[in-house]
Amino acid sequence: MEGSAKQKVPGGKLISVRISFDTLISRVEITGDFFLHPEEALSCIEGSMAGVKADEPEQEMAARVRSAAESHGIEMIGITPEAVASTVKMAIRNGMESNKA
Amino acid sequence: MEWRVIKLRPIGAYMNMGIDEAVMESVRDGRADPTIRFYTWNPSAVSIGRFQSMREEVNIGRCKELGVDCVRRITGGGAVYHDRNGEVTYSVIAPERLLPKGIRESYREICGWVISGLASIGIRAEFAPINDITVNGKKISGNAQTRKDGIVLQHGTILYDLDIKAMFGVLNVSREKISDKAIKSVEERVTRVLDYSSVSQNGLYLALLSGFVRNKEYKMGELTADEASRSEELAGSVYRSDQWNFSR
Repeated sequence: MEGSAKQKVPGGKLISVRISFDTLISRVEITGDFFLHPEEALSCIEGSMAGVKADEPEQEMAARVRSAAESHGIEMIGITPEAVASTVKMAIRNGMESNKA
Repeated sequence: MEWRVIKLRPIGAYMNMGIDEAVMESVRDGRADPTIRFYTWNPSAVSIGRFQSMREEVNIGRCKELGVDCVRRITGGGAVYHDRNGEVTYSVIAPERLLPKGIRESYREICGWVISGLASIGIRAEFAPINDITVNGKKISGNAQTRKDGIVLQHGTILYDLDIKAMFGVLNVSREKISDKAIKSVEERVTRVLDYSSVSQNGLYLALLSGFVRNKEYKMGELTADEASRSEELAGSVYRSDQWNFSR
């Protein structure tokens, strides 16, 4: 399945997610007008969710993103691990709904 | 520490990005002093943030019709329409030690130079974190920063006489982006120097220059021959390429 979602982080920036998944997440692409340093490391955040169960709770997904950010020395400005996780979950829900329809 | 200041001139989008990266390399290698550069974009161009999708953000067909170049920046942030007569853009490239340590603090510092320049022509502007400058609550300047190998690049635009209709023609502005600002029109969020001053575009540049060099040792300079050729190489191999511009 494919899904997408976007949201404006309150007081922050826009984040948009495109996702491919079945039981497991196979691919995540994050776009938006946020800042992330070092820039090359966005792929580490995207990669941290590959292979994860699509029904993993949002809090655990946020912890996973936070851990990837910390281990790669990533600083996010305008988005947060929680915002990334909530947008991913929103994209999964959107994908499931459009699959039903 | 003496700064090199490169005076305002019109330059194409791909070269503008190439110059920024080439100067980052030369400052990193100690081949050039920290640099402040002013420029306009000719032809007019759209730049998108490092993490944005070109197809989502930009009306590519309209840009082609109008001869507007489209380029991905190495900095994050949002899509910007750079009208060739409608703004002045700056780049600051310096070792991290010359600027406040934190990214947010260094935005405030460099945006302070812009605010100081605007004050010299009677415009009272304010820093609006994360990366904007506003006048009476409306955005007049957007700024974006990256850091690599101990070198800071911050570039930003100051709106002079923006053709707002042209901007909306080339950018796809999403409703989500403005939803939390409780306003219907993006036009209501943006202002420009000519709304507050009758200064010429060159006069705006001179005002900004005065703000940027205040309390600094500096000399007016140019790109070195090595920087110029490296800029052209980067413009052609990276910034003009679909592989870079459509990578997301």
